[in-house]
Amino acid sequence: MTAEKEEKGKYTTVSIPTPLAEKIKKRIEGTGFNSISSYVTYVLRELLANMEEEEEEVFSKEDEEKIKERLRALGYLD
Amino acid sequence: MTNYIVSGLERSGTSMMMQILYRGGMPVAFDKSRPPNEHNPKGYYELEGGKVINRLMDGTFPLEKYDGKFIKITAYGLKFLPKGDYKIIYMVRNLDEIMDSMEKMSGPIDREVEKPLFEKLNKYAMKLIDEREDIDYIIVKYNDVVRNPRKEIERVNEFLGGKLDVDAAVKAVDPKLYRNVRENR
Repeated sequence: MTAEKEEKGKYTTVSIPTPLAEKIKKRIEGTGFNSISSYVTYVLRELLANMEEEEEEVFSKEDEEKIKERLRALGYLD
Repeated sequence: MTNYIVSGLERSGTSMMMQILYRGGMPVAFDKSRPPNEHNPKGYYELEGGKVINRLMDGTFPLEKYDGKFIKITAYGLKFLPKGDYKIIYMVRNLDEIMDSMEKMSGPIDREVEKPLFEKLNKYAMKLIDEREDIDYIIVKYNDVVRNPRKEIERVNEFLGGKLDVDAAVKAVDPKLYRNVRENR
């Protein structure tokens, strides 16, 4: 049993197609990844981090000025 | 010292939440600088006519005076909160409903321009409260409160450590007052 699995409640099971699992198994041979789970976790984390970075919009000074105009009209700002 | 804050975009139900807390027996600070009107018939429950943001921006708002009491600071004002210890109830509401309500209150809005801006502000504020270690928060959806007040108020009560009189607080929610609710969103 891996250390990951020993931490009860911190992990859950996700099913992936067997051919994909086989592919991953081959890919991680000779790498630092000791299981399909650790590789899939790594890939998903990277993917989500990139997506979050792309989704993160900049709240610019120009945006702020426009918002302040509306807040003034609503009576929330002098 | 802990400062308790009700926040969210303007017209997201912050006044409703202040009323809920007030009726539920929580210490709530507000003055009569902005009286009730057709936009908020039960009152705004604000300090200084809602212009706390100006005082936070210039660093003159006396947060220490409101230790242990709920005050209303709308989303943009969160940007100027000094380091402290905060518990925040953050209200969220369908953005089209917010725009409807803002339009009624302040005149025509170019939604193509302003809706994305307020969406950004909302995301910015929620990210800010999530990242700051001196802020403990709960997100409350306006429409959930209107539809199922007891369930949502019980959730708020749990966040506040059981200090709220839920039965009394539920009575603050009058669904008839909450116009502009877009169903199925």
